Amino acid sequence: MAVRDLPLPTDAADAAARAEAPQATAERHGWKWLLCAPALAILLFAASGPLLIVLVYSFLTPAGFGGVIWEFSLEGWFRVFMTRDIFDPDQVGPNRANLAIFWRSVSLAFQTTLICAVLGFPTAWFIATRSPRSRPIWLFLITIPFWTNLLIRTFAIQEVIRNQGLINTLLLKAGVIEAPIQMMYTDFAILIGMAYVFLPLMVLPLYAAMDKLDIRLLEAGYDLYASRWAVLRHIVLPLVKPGFIAGSILVFIPAIGAYVTPRILGGGRNMMLGNLIELQFGQGRNWPLGAALAMTLLIIVVAALVLYLRHVGREDEGRRHG
Amino acid sequence: MPDASAPAHPGQDMSQADRTAARPAEIEVGRLSKVFGTGTAAFRALDEVSVTVRQGEFFTLLGPSGCGKTTLLRLIAGFEQPSAGTLRIGGREVAGLGPNQRPVNTVFQNYALFPHMSVADNIGFGLRMLGRPRAEVAATAAEMLRLVRMEAMATRRPAEISGGQQQRVALARALAPRPRVLLLDEPLSALDLKLRKEMQTELKRLQTETGITFVFVTHDQEEALTMSDRIAVMSEGRILQTGTPEDIYNRPADRFVADFIGDTNFLQAEVLTVAEGTATVRLPGGASRTANLPAGMAPAAGDRVTVVVRPEHARLASESGDLSGRVERTVFFGTDTHVHLRLADGTAFTLRRQNMAAGVPAPSAGAEVSLALAEGALQMLRG
Repeated sequence: MAVRDLPLPTDAADAAARAEAPQATAERHGWKWLLCAPALAILLFAASGPLLIVLVYSFLTPAGFGGVIWEFSLEGWFRVFMTRDIFDPDQVGPNRANLAIFWRSVSLAFQTTLICAVLGFPTAWFIATRSPRSRPIWLFLITIPFWTNLLIRTFAIQEVIRNQGLINTLLLKAGVIEAPIQMMYTDFAILIGMAYVFLPLMVLPLYAAMDKLDIRLLEAGYDLYASRWAVLRHIVLPLVKPGFIAGSILVFIPAIGAYVTPRILGGGRNMMLGNLIELQFGQGRNWPLGAALAMTLLIIVVAALVLYLRHVGREDEGRRHG
Repeated sequence: MPDASAPAHPGQDMSQADRTAARPAEIEVGRLSKVFGTGTAAFRALDEVSVTVRQGEFFTLLGPSGCGKTTLLRLIAGFEQPSAGTLRIGGREVAGLGPNQRPVNTVFQNYALFPHMSVADNIGFGLRMLGRPRAEVAATAAEMLRLVRMEAMATRRPAEISGGQQQRVALARALAPRPRVLLLDEPLSALDLKLRKEMQTELKRLQTETGITFVFVTHDQEEALTMSDRIAVMSEGRILQTGTPEDIYNRPADRFVADFIGDTNFLQAEVLTVAEGTATVRLPGGASRTANLPAGMAPAAGDRVTVVVRPEHARLASESGDLSGRVERTVFFGTDTHVHLRLADGTAFTLRRQNMAAGVPAPSAGAEVSLALAEGALQMLRG
């Protein structure tokens, strides 16, 4: 072919490329679906399937010794929020015990998230400002608690806060108090235990966000007459916000459904949602109520997430333009 | 010249030096040192540097990387505290003051714009931190946007504008609080050549319009020569020479300065007689010529010294000239031609020759030629 025959008008070439494009994309999409199949299968059978079973069970009638009778009933959902008088089933009232447990779960999970954020920020900052060579060592130390079983760690906390435990013994010996402070079997004990257990889940995403922070932005802030506090507020916090969001979600969700920690540190009286659900499937032998409670927990988590992300998004919208 | 008694060097144009000399000092650096690390790992980044920057000056710190120019800038900004010495800004000692307590703003090498704020919010940040009223912050931000011709970009985020535009925003942000001094840390190094040339003009315009003292750090000698009122050439933590671009280029005080800025020919010479500010020297080949002395140098007759001459200050002569040698090769550069010679004593010498429209062709390799040096072209070096 002669060289002068070669040059094609660029527009024509572009148009040709565009015409071919949709077909190629469609083909690629087909492949993508196939490649996603294993992941989709796991999602379907391991996540959606069990969830569907729980949802269906919540509308059935409890069998006498656990399990369900396939007979539609709203009693499970009714019992989540209401109670019936034992002697007169028609006399109904709000289920104050359950509502107290919902409130305790939400409140303790929220407080746990707050404590983790307050303790996690300086911890993550400390690690992020070490020399690049020592950072992996500090991160490694943060992950060490994961090596031990949650049950063992919770018993360790118990050893620290119980009446004959470390804190009370020291305070008694030092003469600060005359009688041991009752910490075991209180909401406070649950809070301490959960903050301890979930702290690494806040530190790690916060560290990841801080690691990307350009130190020169802080210098620019100081240079432009910002105090240390103003730099923290106007530059550091907005820029590590994604880390806070990720960490808050990672802490709040497992905290609201926590089971082991409230069971051991809260005792029988200070139940959280996880314990209440376990009770219905176990001693209570009321599977539909347990299933309805589990769905309620799911609804609370999703609602909290939606509210939180909306709030965070709106704040961003306010600052961004267009 | 306004002051006839001032010890002027003959043949030197003093007008620019006079213009800035009349102004009071803005930054006074006295025997300032900065040591990083301790013990055997200690590194002396700045070694007893003394320099005075005057009000409204475009002052450049020029040197290769690692010469201490950025350290000096960071000391002035307050990001680092000096190990020894004094530092005064606007007559006030600033040792111990943080960057937020100094009337100085910095334009960072990578601009360091706040990614979560709009362009306008970036520019208004300094004033907001100073607690100025909302209306004033908005008005100044708008004025600064106009000054750097970025009005249309006010609501964009830094990630949504080009590198050159980010540069302008960084400038506007640093200028908005009206600092006494603007510090610029190699602000043009990230831009491509065309944009860099554009920003050089822009920077000079901004400096003239605002009247703010600029301290500019660069390793680019051309940038330094074209923009500065005065230049301090730095190497290994010391200032080797301070002067106007003409001073630095035409009258380099030592070998490093002569070598770092422009192309230079180094010649070995012998001092014959010494007068005030000048000395007569015998050049290789025997001709005796007058050379300028660097300030404070007092050689004795008979001393072996090094003198320098710029390639464009020598021309091919038909008569017997100041130097003679053999042409080794010629290189054509468009506007001019470089003629590489070997002098009789073996010294390499380069001469730059403008290419005239109907000029005499450049001599071919192997030709024996004579060279004539321009009046005042010889400069003696210290040491």
